[in-house]
Formats: sequence, C-alpha cells, structure tokens
Amino acid sequence: MIRLTVNDVEHTLDVEGDTPLLWVVRDVLGLKGSKFGCGAGLCGACTMHLNGQPIRTCIMPLSAVAGQNITTIEGLSPANASVQQLTPVQQAWLELNVPQCGYCQSGQIMAATALLASNPNPSDADIDNAMSGNICRCGTYPRIRSAIHKAAGMMSAGSHPQAARNGELFSEVTLPQATNSEELSHG
Amino acid sequence: MDKSLNSGLSRRSFLKASALSSGGLLLSVALPGCAAIGMKNQGMVSAGEWQSNAWLRIDTDNRITFILDRVEMGQGTYTGLVTLLAEELEVDPALVQVEFAGVGSAYDNPLYKLQITGGSTSVASSFKRIRLAGASAREMLKQAAAQVWALENTSTLHCDNGQVIHSSGKTLSYGELASIAATFSVPEDTALKSPDEYRYIGKYNKRLDALQKVTGQAVYGIDVELPGMLYAVISRAPAFGGTVKTLDSSAAKAASGVVDVFPLEAAGRSGVAVVGRSYWQARKAQQLLQIEWQTPEVAPSSDAIFAQYTRDLDNEDGEQVRDDGDFDAAAEQAASTLTAEYQLPYLAHATLEPQNCVVKADADGMEVWAPTQSASMARVAAGKHSRYSLDDIVIHTTWIGGGFGRRILQDYVAECAVIADRLQKPVKLIWSREEDTAHDWYRPASLHRLQATINADGKASGWQHRIAHPKVFEWFVGDAAPAQYPFMPKFMFPMLASAGKLGEGILAPKDSSGYEGANDVPYALDNIDVRFIHSEPGVPVGYWRSVGFSHNGFVTESFIDELAHQQKQDPLNFRLELLAQHPRAQSLLRRVAQLADWGRPLPGCHQGVAIHKSFNTWVAQIADVQVEGKNFSVKRVVCAVDCGQAVNPDMIRAQMEGGINFALTAALYGNITLKDGAVQQSNFHDYNMLRMPEAPQIVVDIADNQYDPTGVGEPGVPPLAPAVANALFAATGQRLRRLPLQLA
Repeated sequence: MIRLTVNDVEHTLDVEGDTPLLWVVRDVLGLKGSKFGCGAGLCGACTMHLNGQPIRTCIMPLSAVAGQNITTIEGLSPANASVQQLTPVQQAWLELNVPQCGYCQSGQIMAATALLASNPNPSDADIDNAMSGNICRCGTYPRIRSAIHKAAGMMSAGSHPQAARNGELFSEVTLPQATNSEELSHG
Repeated sequence: MDKSLNSGLSRRSFLKASALSSGGLLLSVALPGCAAIGMKNQGMVSAGEWQSNAWLRIDTDNRITFILDRVEMGQGTYTGLVTLLAEELEVDPALVQVEFAGVGSAYDNPLYKLQITGGSTSVASSFKRIRLAGASAREMLKQAAAQVWALENTSTLHCDNGQVIHSSGKTLSYGELASIAATFSVPEDTALKSPDEYRYIGKYNKRLDALQKVTGQAVYGIDVELPGMLYAVISRAPAFGGTVKTLDSSAAKAASGVVDVFPLEAAGRSGVAVVGRSYWQARKAQQLLQIEWQTPEVAPSSDAIFAQYTRDLDNEDGEQVRDDGDFDAAAEQAASTLTAEYQLPYLAHATLEPQNCVVKADADGMEVWAPTQSASMARVAAGKHSRYSLDDIVIHTTWIGGGFGRRILQDYVAECAVIADRLQKPVKLIWSREEDTAHDWYRPASLHRLQATINADGKASGWQHRIAHPKVFEWFVGDAAPAQYPFMPKFMFPMLASAGKLGEGILAPKDSSGYEGANDVPYALDNIDVRFIHSEPGVPVGYWRSVGFSHNGFVTESFIDELAHQQKQDPLNFRLELLAQHPRAQSLLRRVAQLADWGRPLPGCHQGVAIHKSFNTWVAQIADVQVEGKNFSVKRVVCAVDCGQAVNPDMIRAQMEGGINFALTAALYGNITLKDGAVQQSNFHDYNMLRMPEAPQIVVDIADNQYDPTGVGEPGVPPLAPAVANALFAATGQRLRRLPLQLA
C-alpha cells in the first residue's frame, strides 16, 4: 500500500511501486488531464507538481513519491470552474486562445504556473529556460510566451482573486527546476 | 442578401426537417436514394435514439446542438463551423453545444466522397452548406412565430440572440417555437446574409474549445475509459514487411497482470500483442517477449532509396504534368542553363498524442472510440479486421491530440479491432512514442532535378522540374475505396481496393501528391515542363501537413531564388515581375515586404522570401535569420495570407503560427532515415521538435477580401523552409538544397 495526496485528497493505493505516477493518476485515480507523450521525460505533456515543483511523471515511479503532495491540472481550479474561478495562467491561456489541439497544454500550464510561483515577473530568457522541456507540436509557443507575461501582469496587479491562492500554494517553493538541460540537445 | 451563393445546392435533396420525439426541431441532411443504408451506424444524437445524419437540433428548453461532422485536431474547425451556423441562426456561437458525429454518408466531405477531415477543406467546403442549414432553421422559426401570432407573413419579424422578435417588441424563444417549426418543410428560397450583414464571420475570435483544454477536461482518444477495460501494447516488426519468425511468450504470459499474448497481423504489419490489466503491466511484460523477426526480402536503407530515385530520374521520362510552350526548344536555344538537384527526407507526423484506440466487442456489436480523421475509414478498418459487418460497428470520434494527416490512416483501429474481437472485452491500445515514430506513414522522401534556361538576351526562358516520388494514394486506398461503398459486402473490399487503385484519376481524384505545387508553378516563363517520375521504394507513406506542397514549395521557391540571383535581380522584385497574372499573389508579396521592411533586416540578420499557393490559399513569408558559424537561428517570420473571406481571424493567425513552427521543426531537424528496412529514429531525443527557445517571433497579416474562404490548416507550412534557406543564402552564399538545412 502506498499513500499519496493528489489535489488535497489522500489516497491509499494498491499499485505496483514501479508504476509511473502518470499512469496511477490517469488510470487508477481517473484524472485524465495529464497526458502521455513520450514516456521518457522529453516532452512535458505529463507535468504535475510535486510539492509545488514541476516533475515529469511518465518516468517517476509511484514508490519515489510515496507520502508526497501532488497537484495536477485538475487541482488548479474547481471542477467545472467558471472563467472567474480559473487561475491567472488558465485565464491568460483562454484570453489569448493559446490551445490548438490542446494535448500538451495541461503540461504547459503546470510548467508556467510553477515558473510564475517562483519568478513573478519572468523575462523572455526565463520563459525560454523554464518552458523548454515542454513540446507543443502545434507550435503555440508565441502565444504561450505572451500568456505567461499576461498572467504575470494579472498576478502582480493583485486584482486577481486567484493570485493569493497561488501565492499560498507555492509559498514553500524556492526555485523551479527549469528543465533537464541534457534533454535539450538539438544538434 | 446574396442569392447567388446558393447555386449548386439543391435544398430539396439537402435538408430535411423533422420533430424530435421530445419536442423540438431537428434539421437533417437528407440524401436521396441511400438513406436506408447503414442507418444503425449513423450519428447518435441522443442517448438511446438513432437519427440519420443530423446537423442541427433545437430543443424546447432552448438548447441548440450542432452535430460536428469534421474532427477538431487543433485546426479550429470546431469554432469555425459553429461560427458559420451561428451567423445565420442569429445566436451567440458560445451558446451552441457541439456533439461529434458518427458515420453517415451525408457527412462525407464533398471533395473526397469520404467522411474525412483533411486537405484544409472544412470551412471551405462547409461555407455554404452550414450557413444554409442555419438560415433555413431561422426562417422556419420565423414562420412558426408568424403562426403563433397569427401574422400573414414573416416580414415584421427578425431574429436575434435565440429569439424571434416582432416589430412591436414581443418575443418568442427558439425553444418555444421549435416544435411548431418542425411541422414546416424546409423553405426553398432562403437567402444567406451578405457580407455587410455579418456579425460573427470575420470577427468572432473566441476559441470555443479552449476552456475544456486549459482545465484538462477535453476527452481525447487516449482518455476514453470503459468498465472492465484491458490495455494492449504491440511489438511490431522493425522492418516494413517483416514477420514473426519465432516467438517465446512464456515469460510475458507469466508476468503480473497479463491476460493474453498473441501474434497478430493488421493493416499490413505483423506483431505480437500483449494485453494486461493495466498499461504498465502490459508494457513491462512486453519487455519479456522473445521474438525473432523474419526480415523481408526488400529492406531498403536510405542510401539505396535515393540511389533508386537517382536511377529513375536518369532513366525515366515519367508523366508530364505541365507543358507550356516548348521547353526542349528553349533548352536548345539557350545561351546558358542553371541546373540543381534538391533532396528531401522522409518525415514522421509525431502527433503529441500517440496513436491509440479503444474498442468494445461483444454479442451486440462493436463500438470504436478513436482519434481519427476519418470515421468512415475507421469503420472499414474495424470491419476488415474483425468478424463484424459494417452495420454492426459504431464509430465514436474524440478530441484529437494532433492530426497533421497521420490519422487519415487507420492502422491503430485495425489493430485494436483484432484484439477486442479476439478477447470480446473492452480494450485500449496505446502506442509508445518509439512505436509511433518507427511505424508511421511518412511524408515521402523525394528527389528533384531542375533546369532553367536563359536566352541570348539574358532573360529566363524556360523551367523544367522532374520529381521522383511514390504515390501516397496507393497506401491509402485499401480503406478509402471500401469506405466510399459502405453497402458492399466485406469480401468485396480487396476488389474495391484494387479497383480504387486502378481507378485513380477516374473513380477517385488523381494522386497529385508527388507534383502538386510543382505543376502549378505560378511564374510567367514561356516554356515550362514538369514531370512526375513514379518511384516506389516500398516504405509506407501518407499525407503529412501540406502533402506535396511540403516538398515542392521548398524546391520551387528555392530554385526561383537561385534564378533571381543568377539574373542579378532582387528576389522579391523578380517574383513580382513574374506574377503579373496573379494579382492576389502580387499584393500579398508587397504587403509582406512592407511589414517585414524588406531590405532592412533585423540587426545581425539576413532576409529570405518565399510565396506559395496551396489548398487555394496564397501565403507569403519573409524570414529574418541570424547566422553564427555553422549555426543559425530564425529570429522573426512575417507572414501574409490570402484565404478569401476570413471566418475567425484569430484562428487563421494561429494556424499560420502553428504552420510556421511545424515547418521550422522540419527545416531544422526533420529526418527519418532507414537501415535494413527499419526506421532509425525513436523518440524526441533523436527526432527533435522545435522548442520554446528556438521559436521565432511571428507576425501574421490576413488579406481583407470577400472571396469564398479557402483552407488555412496547411498553407502556412510550404513557404517557411524556402524563406529560411533563401535567407541563409543571402547570409552565407551557400545554397542549401537538402532538408533539414545544414550549413557547411
């Protein structure tokens, strides 16, 4: 039995410990928002937060995160949330029509959310660094970049009801593990 | 009102109104003659109730439901088609609920006679049909209101925001009127709005599927879950045409959670399926399989394929697909000639959602949930690979995590149908990324020889382009031909496939995938000779975003640049002069030059330009590229597009941005290579995708006109690689004639 807290709900799981966290969350807990893209930590579609830090869950064995707190895309805002209940990142994504096929966007939003929690006003270089582990095959990169700047603006303006919630959620975060730079050799 | 727009559509055979059993109005697409065929399989519009080919439903509680007969894979069709309906129906597009259609002949793409989403056709081919459905419903609702209010006609009525409004100010909602409207027949003379009356077309910019996609709620094929579902993975023969020689599955069968292990043949591939109670159990057991593969007799490597293309170009005349003037005479009289050879690689689609399928098979029939670009071909694939007749197979389509043409082929459906039919249980098949990369239907590799002639006056006089390339159609027709004849028994399918192959250009459109974008080279040269040399290396190939234009756009727009430089002319002005017969292209080039400040590159950059027409849409691009040693980066791409009447301008911008980044991935990295018949790439470490730091700034401008809309999903792709290559030539003097682009 392995204990795990996902989106503030505690679970006791009878699952083989080498099962990647992604498949436990998707198929045992039924939260399908996090996606399978590569199975090798190369694309970021499976990104969740482990104690606020973005991790690649397709290569993270369940046993390695036993007893930890996990947040998925479903945990960012309430189920069937109205637009006003979304986080600044989700709202910015909506306003700028970021998604195309949408398959990578859960992972993109989790990576961007973690970035902004530790760096409320990221430069373009900061965004390059933090987001380079997340592939978007539809090529929505320019809009992702704009949406991160927009969300930063919404959060710093302090007018956003979710800004405080995010601050709380990530109060213990020190620095985001940007991405594995060795994953990013482009020849 | 523009009545001329209705020409070519016979309403009598097109729309049919009927009442919903719960009250309310249903507008169906009625096709004469074949309505009874396969009724059981057609769109399921509400639980437990079968309806034929429904497009639009208005319920008494004011719910408006649109049955989307194309799939949404990122291209924006969902928003686009709803916008068209809402425009004529006078409702806010955001209030229209959307359901995905099942298989139905009335949903066929009129351009292909198949229910298929591809070729950048959805808005173009639906522009009149769907507006007409909305306008017909609107007029029937007005007639219903006239009846309620005892008016002689509808002249004092108008519609707004889901209501019929009388000039006195009184209103009735569509829901209140729907049951009465359903008693009328579809009016014969409904006119569509004229462009100056549009309130959504050309203006509506809210992406209707975005909320589901930023909250993780959109259900893709890979997310479908059924009670008691098992999980399957397949080890496939590494070389195309390879088979299982020996199999020891004892260790895999003994592994935890494994239900079944067995060899299977599907969609022309051999493999071994492992079925488990969870995905991870199946995946782990797969590692325990001991398989010896029988290598096929023909197992080509990349070098041999390009050698074959070279031989065929040396020895074959091929099929002439453009013949202007007399190129041979021009060549004889030429003072000089310019020749070049261009080479392009195989490319994988690399949809971020790997191929997958869910199939439930039992005594009641077979149900398939698939992220497919063609529901009707999916049904053929499931039928061919199971004991079920097509009438007993129901197809459900889902959100799609990237298509790009990959999901026009139905191999994942075929495989999952085999497994579910055998086990008689619900099964989800998931391909790994490595399997997806190594078993694609690739954008074909090709080899091109070009020759331009220059006469004694120093003017360009002739253009010859010879292309060695396979026929994509031949890899696709096996499922496509039977899907066009769903009433034929299954034993006829192979015959239909061969008839379809022989019928290319007669029964089916001609396969232009080798030469499209080359035979229609737009430049006004007197003598043009374009030839297609059919060369078939035996590697499975398919449709890849922008298809033939993806290679011919690069070749023609690079070679015209070579010719411009040979003529010592500015590449932009040279094109402008030779495009006198294409005023829309000329104005697009001028616009892109103005926006990119042609001739004044960004600091440290050089510029390259390209323009290409594909899927009836012109796109011009200027790339600003910075070179450092052998490395380069694309800093900015300015893009001007003329796709006729814009429906959702921001979706068009998004498709140009996406097309540019998709094409830049191919230009920088895309290269599938073969060794002994097997693909050498596997995952994103050796089949690279563009990432955030390499993504350029993109500026998009949309031509403002009211021609009928043309496609936008693909046309952003072809001009990018030549624009970048032409910029690299400007920067370094190196003419790169191979993709991916590599500086020496």
